[in-house]
Amino acid sequence: MVSSISDRGQSYEEEQSYDWSWYVWGARNLFSLPALILLSAFVGFGGLAREAGLPLAHLVFLVPTIWALPSHLILLAGIVSGASLFAIAPAVALAAIRMMPMTMALIPEIRAAHTKRWHLLLVSNLVAITAWVHTLQKAKDIPRRGRLPYFVGFASTMAITTTIAAALVHQLAPSLPSAVMACLYFLTPIYFATTIWNTARVRAEHLALGLGFALGPIAVWLLPQASILIAGLTAGVIAYGIHRLTISKSEQA
Amino acid sequence: MFYDSYDFWWWPFVFILIAGAVPTAIWRWAGVFLVGNMDETSEWLVFIRCVATGLVAAVIAQFVFNPTGTLAELPLWLRLGAAFGGFGIFLATGRHVFVGVLMAEVLLLSGMWLFM
Repeated sequence: MVSSISDRGQSYEEEQSYDWSWYVWGARNLFSLPALILLSAFVGFGGLAREAGLPLAHLVFLVPTIWALPSHLILLAGIVSGASLFAIAPAVALAAIRMMPMTMALIPEIRAAHTKRWHLLLVSNLVAITAWVHTLQKAKDIPRRGRLPYFVGFASTMAITTTIAAALVHQLAPSLPSAVMACLYFLTPIYFATTIWNTARVRAEHLALGLGFALGPIAVWLLPQASILIAGLTAGVIAYGIHRLTISKSEQA
Repeated sequence: MFYDSYDFWWWPFVFILIAGAVPTAIWRWAGVFLVGNMDETSEWLVFIRCVATGLVAAVIAQFVFNPTGTLAELPLWLRLGAAFGGFGIFLATGRHVFVGVLMAEVLLLSGMWLFM
């Protein structure tokens, strides 16, 4: 009788807590290929920020508070082109919409029995593509109580490390050879193009990727201060339109 | 309202929060509130993903067509060639991100070394 009460007490306690030992296992992914690629993309971003004239303090502030490289780049491009808050914020918001379905896909995987909504609101700020893809793949091999700590371990370690890397390059950029800097900057667009191609669920997203790329320079010529917003929206709408047309055609046939 | 509108030291931080952090975070919070109430494969999510992908593609285009700084010193044909070459090899060799990134870099470096 006594032992059964203590058993119940123990299991209740277990259900009410996370297993934070998984945090370390998540953090260890810092030494993985996707983490390395992301790190180099932020090394490039640190250099870009330096060339754009962004002070170190602003860089160190904006990397972890935003924590989504497309948003970082749109904000930086906006600041450089002298765009207003009312042009930058909508472009950032539209580019970041993908955070919503990503968060929605992740939560059922990492939620434990006792998880509160405020836990998820906090943790969701770490949702970004690299740790997200990885945790979705790994979740099934981790006990429920360890999944949220595992994700936080990976994502927070990446956020801290990339901020440090970006800050270092911000300081070192003027002393690095220009060929090295060119290669670092070039990591980012190819990293985006390939990861987005791989995470696309429908062909329309591949089409949107190609269209956005093709419309980009046209929009710069039309209206440089809102070019990303114009090119991105147009590409997305056309890609979705074609997607609808092909669906209705295949339904008719 | 611009990044450099005011001389207060704190203004750029507020600008970063309003223009960058909040517009990004609202979607994560929306995801937390909507999870379970919405079908993740629903049609309007396809639309959302298309627009979001289009915007990131426009960012990619900016790196290739209208870069700033060091990349701008390289000719357009080299940036285009390295980007398309790297991406083509990525598609042709089983879609490994690392392969695509590495090959784009190799092409860019070879181009710089051979022609500049």
